[in-house]
Amino acid sequence: MLQIVKQLENRSRAALITLALLLVVLIGAVDYLTGFETSFSIFYLLAIGLAAWFLGRGFAIFISILSVVVSLAGDLARGAHFSSSFVPTWNALILLTFYLVIVWLLTRLRVFYQQLEAQVRQRTAALTDEMAERERLECELLEISEREQHRIGQDLHDGLCQHLTGATLAGQVLEEKLEALHLPVAADASRVVEIIEEGINLSRKLAKGLYPVEIEADGLMLALEEFAITSSKLFKVSCRFECDLPVLIYDSATAGHLYRIAQEAVGNAIKHGKAKNILIRLDASEDNTVLSVKDDGTGLPDVLPKNRGMGLRIMAHRSAMIGGLFNARRDETGGTLVTCELRAKSSSEKTP
Amino acid sequence: MNKPKTKIYLVDDHPLVREWLTNLIHQQFDLVVCGESEDAPHALREIAATAPDVAIVDISLKSGSGIELIKNLKAMQPDVVVIVLSMHDERLYAERALRAGARGYIMKSETAKKVVMVIRQVLAGKIYMSESLAAVFAEKFVDGRLPASGSLVEQLSDRELETFQLLGKGYETRQVAEMMNVSMKTVQAHCAHIKEKLKLTNAAELLREAVRWQENNPAS
Repeated sequence: MLQIVKQLENRSRAALITLALLLVVLIGAVDYLTGFETSFSIFYLLAIGLAAWFLGRGFAIFISILSVVVSLAGDLARGAHFSSSFVPTWNALILLTFYLVIVWLLTRLRVFYQQLEAQVRQRTAALTDEMAERERLECELLEISEREQHRIGQDLHDGLCQHLTGATLAGQVLEEKLEALHLPVAADASRVVEIIEEGINLSRKLAKGLYPVEIEADGLMLALEEFAITSSKLFKVSCRFECDLPVLIYDSATAGHLYRIAQEAVGNAIKHGKAKNILIRLDASEDNTVLSVKDDGTGLPDVLPKNRGMGLRIMAHRSAMIGGLFNARRDETGGTLVTCELRAKSSSEKTP
Repeated sequence: MNKPKTKIYLVDDHPLVREWLTNLIHQQFDLVVCGESEDAPHALREIAATAPDVAIVDISLKSGSGIELIKNLKAMQPDVVVIVLSMHDERLYAERALRAGARGYIMKSETAKKVVMVIRQVLAGKIYMSESLAAVFAEKFVDGRLPASGSLVEQLSDRELETFQLLGKGYETRQVAEMMNVSMKTVQAHCAHIKEKLKLTNAAELLREAVRWQENNPAS
């Protein structure tokens, strides 16, 4: 039924008018042929309904009147006999009223239906916009946090650490002066220098966490190697980094995002997958560069808990930001396999 | 008449570090700072003019890299002894700096207590590096991984050597494959053999060795 309505919706107005008229003629003919004793009035509703739904109230009223006229004319032509001329007139009027009520109901229904459709369309559009906006904001958030982390890391490294170095030197000068005067407080000055040196090391560690990949092209390989070693020690798992060919990433933002994807994937493998063996690989072939993280944990669940979906989404965003193809799935062997593939062009090749 | 003081030149882009390093050095009876600079080109000119005995150089400078400056100094002022003072991790940069010609590498977090000692040590003709770094080098030496000497490189086949040289010149593996007209798989196999023959543990090390070898054998 719905399909028929849909099909008719696509027809031109002229075709629909012709169809409605044809129906009236056809039903009128059958009505005439079956004689006046059997009532056919209900079948005219096909034509009337068609007109009311697709062609508007005016034309539907016209078809209603036409139907009544055709039906009555047919009955009279077949020799229908009435005790008084009032009877057929009365019957015709009753029939017409019935048709008109139907026309009114159908046209009203049609209006409601159209309004509802428009509303659904509008809401869907708003929702789609909202989702796109949300996606954009998530990306932007990531970019901002990345930029800020980078900035704070660099400020710590190049600003605060250097400043503290100046302070240790000043402390050392003081210590030597006190020593020259043979004052025992020189030991205190020496301790102050040591405390500031510890401060430098702490700040450097912080900076490293905020900005893990050195800006050199081979920085990603080195950073991933170091990360694998630290993760193994820290979480008591076997985390290895394999890289058969030297893979150079000249764009430091790309290197940074790839590092964070690996970091997140390894974190997930240990935290959610309870993995014991994790393998990070960096591979290059003729047309792509691929970062992959494979573990022997429980694998991705079919339905992700809400907080996990976020981590995966962020990895996907990172991948998208560097023009990569992201994939996270349950591996054939049961664990999880996370990959980020960069087309050869997008790894920003550079001729030396 | 006293012995003339040892002249020291400072290259660091942080004024506070320069200021207090100067104060600390001036406190020593036999040392004097003869000049300072925050970028490489200026430093190179000044060092030529003031002829210091020692130059203390930071790796990251306002303009130009410290490593390049060390190479230039080694070529143009071979008498100046260079000590690197850096905030960067010694495991990443010390080897590069020492191979470029520096005689000492001090992390900035250890500078205050060590710098004067290191100055005297390099003046005595010795190389200085931290104990933990020396241990890393010793381990590499014992494993036979240091350095990729000529004799080890000679064991490479012609195609492997070509791969090694191209990588050393800074070409990407993809470009190496293209230039040698072979597939990436073949380059990968070459790299595996090179790593085995030169006793290198990973691709990053392979690359570093290739670059270093290329720098020392530029004619090849």
